[in-house]
Amino acid sequence: MTIEDTLVTFEGVHKRYDDFVAVKALDLEIKRGEFVAIMGPSGCGKTTTLRMLAGLETPSGGKITIGGKCMNDVPAHERDTPLVWQSLALFPFLNVIENVEFGLKMRGVPDFERQPRALIWLERLGLKGFEKRRIDQLSGGQRQRVALARSLVTEPEMLLLDEPLSALDAHLVIRMQGVLTKLQKELGITFVYVTHSQSEAFAMADRVVIMGQGEISQIGAPRDIFRAPKNRFVAEFVGRNNIFAGMGQSGGDIVVAADRISVSREATEGASVQAAFLSEEFVGTAIICYFEGPDGEDLKALVTEEELEALSPEPGEQFWLSWAPEAVHELEGA
Amino acid sequence: MKTRFSVYPYVWRVPLLIWQGLFFIGPLALMVAMSFWLVKNYRMEPDFVFKNWDKMMSRGYFWDAYWITLWRASLAALLATLIAFPASYTLAFKVSDTVRRWAVFFLIVPFFTSYLVRAYAWQVLLAESGPINAILGYLGLGPFTMLNTGIGAMVGYMTLVLPLVVILQTFSLAAIDRNLIEAAWNLGASARATLFKVIIPSARVGLIIGAVFAFILSYGDFVSPFYLGGSKPPTMSILIIDTTKSGQQWPRAAVVAIMMIVTLFTVAFVAVGAAYGRRK
Repeated sequence: MTIEDTLVTFEGVHKRYDDFVAVKALDLEIKRGEFVAIMGPSGCGKTTTLRMLAGLETPSGGKITIGGKCMNDVPAHERDTPLVWQSLALFPFLNVIENVEFGLKMRGVPDFERQPRALIWLERLGLKGFEKRRIDQLSGGQRQRVALARSLVTEPEMLLLDEPLSALDAHLVIRMQGVLTKLQKELGITFVYVTHSQSEAFAMADRVVIMGQGEISQIGAPRDIFRAPKNRFVAEFVGRNNIFAGMGQSGGDIVVAADRISVSREATEGASVQAAFLSEEFVGTAIICYFEGPDGEDLKALVTEEELEALSPEPGEQFWLSWAPEAVHELEGA
Repeated sequence: MKTRFSVYPYVWRVPLLIWQGLFFIGPLALMVAMSFWLVKNYRMEPDFVFKNWDKMMSRGYFWDAYWITLWRASLAALLATLIAFPASYTLAFKVSDTVRRWAVFFLIVPFFTSYLVRAYAWQVLLAESGPINAILGYLGLGPFTMLNTGIGAMVGYMTLVLPLVVILQTFSLAAIDRNLIEAAWNLGASARATLFKVIIPSARVGLIIGAVFAFILSYGDFVSPFYLGGSKPPTMSILIIDTTKSGQQWPRAAVVAIMMIVTLFTVAFVAVGAAYGRRK
């Protein structure tokens, strides 16, 4: 990776409020044209990180650079880091096209140039004919796209998104995910996407940053994080993982993904545990079965419909959960 | 489907209608009727003559009073809005919730004392030999005649309306979604642009309602123009006092009052339309 490829760097950035540390010693590099998702439970510092990048919060220490330039003292309105807000924050007293034109207007783009540029973006996002609508006359998905158009109209190098899909219906989320990834690929700009939703992050991002308690727990491609979580926090947060304490070769914890567990009524060769069936949950093509392990741990196994029928488990019944040696991933630390 | 007739809702509406009829429609109708009555030997007699309207509408002093009142109330609304805004802005955005709550409480305190008493206090302060002129004297200025002038009246109007206008503005500014303000910065708006393009449009309703209250209160007030403004030129309210005192001319006072009500209604209607109306 050369210097030119790097768009954003965080160097030892931390943010402290009076008696609360939101972000501690954050080091992160974001490349040009990359789709990065910052993911973590609420209060992990992901939104603070994004807000520092936008200049809405000032770091208490450390250095943030964008395009090689130190941004610590650059006020928000002099940065080109448009943000798509969770609440969208569309201006209710302006109509659709006036909202989209806002950023251009603030940058002194003349009147005759603003409108065509705004119209291009409205058309691109499928909002042609909605220019004169009031914001409260739009559906949730349409508002979302107005917010995107408003942020992208200045053609920034980077777009920041703060849980933009969390207020939408499930079916719209999937559709907007498609819109966002397509847009990011076409524009070739950097997307920094903050979310608490694993499915959103894993579906869209090139690289996922997992944060917990103000620190980065793991950075990697979605697949790497899913298959090889670094520690217990990541393994638990990512979900669909089974964590077995002290079963590693060196006595550490191991992780076996739910889709690599096989369930049977009889004891099997190799690694396995006995667990009591709790319940099942349909997730599209497969079924997740939940079990309670010998030490009361929550275990899950992904099975097909046929397998479930063959097993026909009743709550409380004991089953053997087994896995192949290559399915085991050992966690760092004891 | 036939809806069964029920007296129940009508029964509950009756007290409201009686109240409205007794205390609003009734007196208003009486006043309108009275404006057509005649005064003979200092006594009113029901009649239907246009003499009172004729007399008032054709007099220069009526129209002088009309325009001066309209002008002063408009100026008071504008001044109150401009003076209150920095205070409201500070209370809404620059202080903690606790400080804001206390500030709003202290803004209500002035209403505990009679407005008349507060106007009298200004009489002392604004006098030619009063403390304000004394301080200005130290600085080599003045003395200025402030009492019994338009300035005196305006000081009185501000005493009356400022606390209310600050409260109304503070609430409407504090209710603005902070994300909108941050979104404006994020899209390249400077502090100034954010104020004019986002904060003021967002608080438009509250700002206009504040100005309307300032207008209405100043328009009908007689304490300030009387005790601090020297009642010259007379405002509409002073005209009512003068008319009733001189020869029991209640019908002519009714004419003045009706003109005031019509004006207030028009102004309030236009202002509320501007506050809530759709943009062009």
